[in-house]
Amino acid sequence: MAINYEQLIADLIKPLVMNPEDVMVKKFSEENEVLTIQVIVNQDDLGRVIGKNGRIANAIRTIAYASASKEGKKVQINIDSL
Amino acid sequence: MKSIVFDIKSMNDALDYASKELRIQKDFIDINVLEKKGVLGLMKSYKVEATINVYPADLGYQTLKKLFLNMNVDAKIEMKQRKDNQLIYTIETDENPLLIGKNGKTLEGIQLFIRNLINAYTDQHMIVLVDIGGYRENRKKQLEILATKTAKEVARSKIAAKLEPMNAYERRIVHMKLSDWRDVSTVSEGEGSSRHLVIKPKRR
Repeated sequence: MAINYEQLIADLIKPLVMNPEDVMVKKFSEENEVLTIQVIVNQDDLGRVIGKNGRIANAIRTIAYASASKEGKKVQINIDSL
Repeated sequence: MKSIVFDIKSMNDALDYASKELRIQKDFIDINVLEKKGVLGLMKSYKVEATINVYPADLGYQTLKKLFLNMNVDAKIEMKQRKDNQLIYTIETDENPLLIGKNGKTLEGIQLFIRNLINAYTDQHMIVLVDIGGYRENRKKQLEILATKTAKEVARSKIAAKLEPMNAYERRIVHMKLSDWRDVSTVSEGEGSSRHLVIKPKRR
């Protein structure tokens, strides 16, 4: 079964934030085995999802990267608020 | 359980207020009215208590479980609490190397994320350790062998040796291992991700 990256990332981020209803995860292109995933969170949650020096964002990226490598893919994650 | 007590005019605002104050989503907060204030409907206000209704350790467990499910990885997770403030998740999967990653990078990522998540739900500072397939124990043994070997070489040659960059936990293992050696001393040098250990000969 193929991995649902949107679900995977949303399930990681939702417990962490104050406004889970504002979490949006959208998969964009899938060219040359490279996935681009856009994550939108509430302005108030951006700090928590990115973390000090981007540490949490990088942890999320590392986890997603490992998941993708299982399928021979690469994944790029952009995190932003509205 | 983390909780706060506050006064509020309208009960409709209580959950919003508690969520902002506790910095926790509403689903994980229970509101209890402690006291109604005011006479004959004038100057009405409520004294309420807001409590987090989820155990941080369980939330960590659930998040890990979901993660492995989403990754299509079969995983067995064991949770242990040591002392008041130490949580240990021991994980065994059919994809251990993938989840550990190069030099344990993915494992570090998972641990950092779960530690951060758990600490968002508690006032206490929790130490959260995640181990996959006994990696940490093996790594400790490897580092101790490396430390001993390098230290012997330094003691013999009297030339300082630099080790690869390591995280604080790994550097600590080497420091501890060599702390009682008479011929060598250990120091950490460099900043951030390039912080590494140097084993130096002691002059006698």
